[in-house]
Amino acid sequence: MSETAAKAPPASILVVDDEPIVLQSLGDWFRQDGYAVDTATNAKEALKLAAERHHDIALLDIKMPGIDGLELQERLTREVPDLSVIVMTAYASVESAVRALKAGAYDYITKPFDPDELSHLVRRATEHRSLRSENLRLKEQLASVAGPSPLVGVSAAMRHVQDLIDAVAASDATVLVRGESGTGKELVARAVHARSPRRFGPLVTVNCGALPEGVLESELFGHEKGAFTGAQFRHKGKFELADGGTLFLDEVGTVTPRVQVELLRVLEEKKVTRLGGTTSLKTDFRTVAATNQDLEAAVREGRFRDDLYWRLNVFVIDLPPLRERPEDIPELAQHFLERFTLAMNKPTMRFSAAALETLRTYAWPGNVRELQNAVERAVVLGSPPEIQVGDLPLRVGAQSESAGPLSLEEVERVHIRRVLDGCGWNISQAAKVLGIDRGTLYAKIRRYGFERVSAS
Amino acid sequence: MGTGDPAARDASTDPGGPRPWSSIALAVVDGLAGTGPDQLLAALSARSGLACRPVTLAPPPLLEPLAGRPQLDADKLLGRLEEAARALGQVPLVGVTGRDLGVPLFTFVFGRARLGGAAALVSTARLRPELYGQVADPSLVARRAAGEILHELGHLAGRIHCEDPRCVMHFAASVEAADLRGDRFCPSCATALPPGLAPARDAAGERLGPSPLRPSA
Repeated sequence: MSETAAKAPPASILVVDDEPIVLQSLGDWFRQDGYAVDTATNAKEALKLAAERHHDIALLDIKMPGIDGLELQERLTREVPDLSVIVMTAYASVESAVRALKAGAYDYITKPFDPDELSHLVRRATEHRSLRSENLRLKEQLASVAGPSPLVGVSAAMRHVQDLIDAVAASDATVLVRGESGTGKELVARAVHARSPRRFGPLVTVNCGALPEGVLESELFGHEKGAFTGAQFRHKGKFELADGGTLFLDEVGTVTPRVQVELLRVLEEKKVTRLGGTTSLKTDFRTVAATNQDLEAAVREGRFRDDLYWRLNVFVIDLPPLRERPEDIPELAQHFLERFTLAMNKPTMRFSAAALETLRTYAWPGNVRELQNAVERAVVLGSPPEIQVGDLPLRVGAQSESAGPLSLEEVERVHIRRVLDGCGWNISQAAKVLGIDRGTLYAKIRRYGFERVSAS
Repeated sequence: MGTGDPAARDASTDPGGPRPWSSIALAVVDGLAGTGPDQLLAALSARSGLACRPVTLAPPPLLEPLAGRPQLDADKLLGRLEEAARALGQVPLVGVTGRDLGVPLFTFVFGRARLGGAAALVSTARLRPELYGQVADPSLVARRAAGEILHELGHLAGRIHCEDPRCVMHFAASVEAADLRGDRFCPSCATALPPGLAPARDAAGERLGPSPLRPSA
């Protein structure tokens, strides 16, 4: 491989100065450092070169006859917005340097240059450009990942949910997502964030139900060093971390009355004081809260503050349970099937008609989360290319037997599989339970394509 | 002005390969600082496989100070050395001076050479340890100057600055940085230089590796 084959192309520099000696010196200097250099003695020439060729960095002399460096900077950055401009001044003219910086110049340097300073400046400008373009690329990648909604469903109920998300996302309104456990409330929060102008900011999730009161307080509000025993370092709270983005308060109905007071204050004032601190810090976040509880009942019973309830209850999105939208089950199941086969590096799989019918008719008390788990288990246990009823969890499979007739072969398949799993794949024991000899069992294992899988 | 300057091309990439040099001519210009001509010649000879020979320029090149600065104008002096090289038919010619060098655009330069040029210029003024509060060390100054000369010779041979921090062609704008990079060419640069300039082994047959510069014991 040649020396330059693996390297990125060298940065391209445009030097503009009315003194030929400067152009000669800088041109030689940068070429020796491996840069591609174009030089121009006036603004007109520079604009022509900029239109013809790509440049990463422009070094512009401020004092030039005709169009001066500052005006040239303005014109060049209008034509080439991502150009990094460094202005050169013959003497320390702070005023013009500040004007250049305010107009977006990367930096300025005073003549005569310290060789080390010039080299570092150009190197920094190159790195800055590379970080800026990497940042843009990552943002685009993020947008493409976050863009499409992860909410799957074709039912009228889910289409309505999608419409509500679209309607509220662009605003900064507080959103309250209500729904049974496992319906996908966090996915709604993510979709609201991803479709909002805050999508390039952070999405900070706090599971209020998972943390004891003291820990939750510290997590939400942060704490100063020494605020309590064990607070060895200053800790930023979730409100601060969500600055510029979205704060998702999951299981908000479980928050204790004391934390509810503090929560209400921060939501209203958008200012937070760390535990043990005295200064209130301004933070700019959008709130999405979720609950599987009946908050109205909690308010009536005095378990939840009504002022906090009304603060959260600005725009409500109700997520229907899966049993109320069975038409979404095949699409959801297929979505999870594709995801898990890909994740487990398995060949393409499909559901048998009976397995799909089983999924469709099951009540799914655990909602989408239960469906997801069932499909994951089936992908682990199932033999490609088809997932059978027997590959589904017992609870789901058991309902299917009463839900619809199976062929004799399928009943045998399911039964043998259960016995094998029940005996921990002890062939002798399973054969004894089934009342067949080991050879017959082996033949049936081969016939049905069973494979022993170590799964919990 | 565009990029069409033929001197800007990396001569080491010419299909014909680098032009051979028979020897390196060393001309002391207005005396040295911190070391002597013999020590410098010895240090350069130890690091280059080419014969290094002293030459006297007659008449001596005109020395022009930079306006308002206690330095010689390096570009003008380099121009005169290039003329002398052509007149003598000696490529490369290296001028070494104890005077501090500058150019209008830069506060100082350790050395000066044009890519693919005929002559190079190096100053020992800023290579003296006593300038940085250390003990005078003529041997160290000679080795530093030899490193600077090799760097400028690399440019004459068409090499641009090298990314390898332990290559003598790596850019260094301070004595510390120059000491760290040492006085050896990296293998990649070495293969693109005129034959003999960067020997792979020393006189005793030992393979030469990176060699950061340190004060003499």
